Amino acid sequence: MNVAKKPSLLVILDILTVLFMSAVLVLTWFFTPVEAVMGPVQKVFYFHISAAWGGMLSFILGAIAGAGYLRSRRLGWDSLSLASIEVGLVFALIAILSGMIWARPIWNTWWVWDPRLTTTAIMALIYLAYFILRGGLSTPEARARLGAVYAILAVLTVPLTFFSIRLFRTIHPVVIATGGGQGSAFNMTPRMLTALFASLLAFTILLADLVWHRFRLAQLQNPLSEEEN
Amino acid sequence: MKPSVSYLAAIWTILRKDIQVEWRGRQGVPVMLVFALTIVFLFNFALQLSPDLQAGLAAGLLWVSLAFASTLGLNRGISLERENNALDGLLLAPMDRSAIFFGKALGNFCFTGLVGLVLLPVFSLFYPQNMLRLPLVLVMLLGLGAYTSLGTLLSALSIQARTRDVLLPVLLYPLALPILIAAVEASRGVLTGQSLGDVSSWIYLLLAGILLFNAGGLLFFETILEE
Repeated sequence: MNVAKKPSLLVILDILTVLFMSAVLVLTWFFTPVEAVMGPVQKVFYFHISAAWGGMLSFILGAIAGAGYLRSRRLGWDSLSLASIEVGLVFALIAILSGMIWARPIWNTWWVWDPRLTTTAIMALIYLAYFILRGGLSTPEARARLGAVYAILAVLTVPLTFFSIRLFRTIHPVVIATGGGQGSAFNMTPRMLTALFASLLAFTILLADLVWHRFRLAQLQNPLSEEEN
Repeated sequence: MKPSVSYLAAIWTILRKDIQVEWRGRQGVPVMLVFALTIVFLFNFALQLSPDLQAGLAAGLLWVSLAFASTLGLNRGISLERENNALDGLLLAPMDRSAIFFGKALGNFCFTGLVGLVLLPVFSLFYPQNMLRLPLVLVMLLGLGAYTSLGTLLSALSIQARTRDVLLPVLLYPLALPILIAAVEASRGVLTGQSLGDVSSWIYLLLAGILLFNAGGLLFFETILEE
């Protein structure tokens, strides 16, 4: 297979990504209402949620691809795992940073030691350590094998971490109510919901696009790094 | 391949070997103890802790010193196998490799547990908290059980990297965070006079950690040590 040639499906995905992301920008700027109490800064919320969602999805994909590597022992799976986790980390950092931008005017501080913020930061640290681990390993095979095990372990601990937050008090807003709240489960107007779902979709497409590009880069690097060792 | 020794016998042999090495060399437990005490003194000045330490702070201090000190023991436990290529010998032994994990994890648990059991009365001496209580001992052992299982698993990962000794804390602390939170909260609860039933959700979290990380060892240890 000629890896160097860019697949036409990827080109289509690139175009789709640009279209969807611009559409979401237009939606958030002009379509959604300005939140009554918080004002325009609330609009960062659409990107915040979507980035957090993308990060989670990406980390799960990274673990699944890791399991794929352990089953098949093909480096392609490892490239996918690495690509997902790298893009996931960027998304998680976007979620944290956009959250901080929102928190500054609303909570009057960039950072609070709220459990949900803290655990998201810890999640970012867990995946930063993934790159430190890979950096210390000298063969592509060891990077793939141990990276896969670590990616799976990391995904398994994240729910434990989130459960441990639930036991704390949290001041982080709960957008999607669990259990018997009154009325709709979403605490938003229909327009806000539309923009949110559009943004979730757009970020998912962006994620797929970025992961694919990063995957291709890793695939192109693989034969090179084998020569190096 | 059919294992020629029974699974439990293999675990016991590895555990016994580690205890023997520790008993003859005494290079793990004493080092961890001294280190843990150093941390207690360091924190005492760094955080300007008052002599009438509150229960919450005492629980936190206990776990920070235990978590840091355990890292030394975990690193020591695995680098012991690296010296003279002892690990190759273990890998050649005709047994399931996850038995190596359980043997090493049990050994690490025993040593850090011992350190914890010595630390509790020492804490009670330095601070006006009686820490030597049965519920606290139980919480401590559960927490250390989960922590050392994860630590043993990750030490086998980190030993293969060029940056081996430095890598373990970076891998271990973020992943162990839910365990440490649960352990600190359960300890704090017990120290402020709550019963074990009152902190049951934290206890369940610790049990979940023990289950999860030991299942991880059972599933992945073979893969991690593969050459």
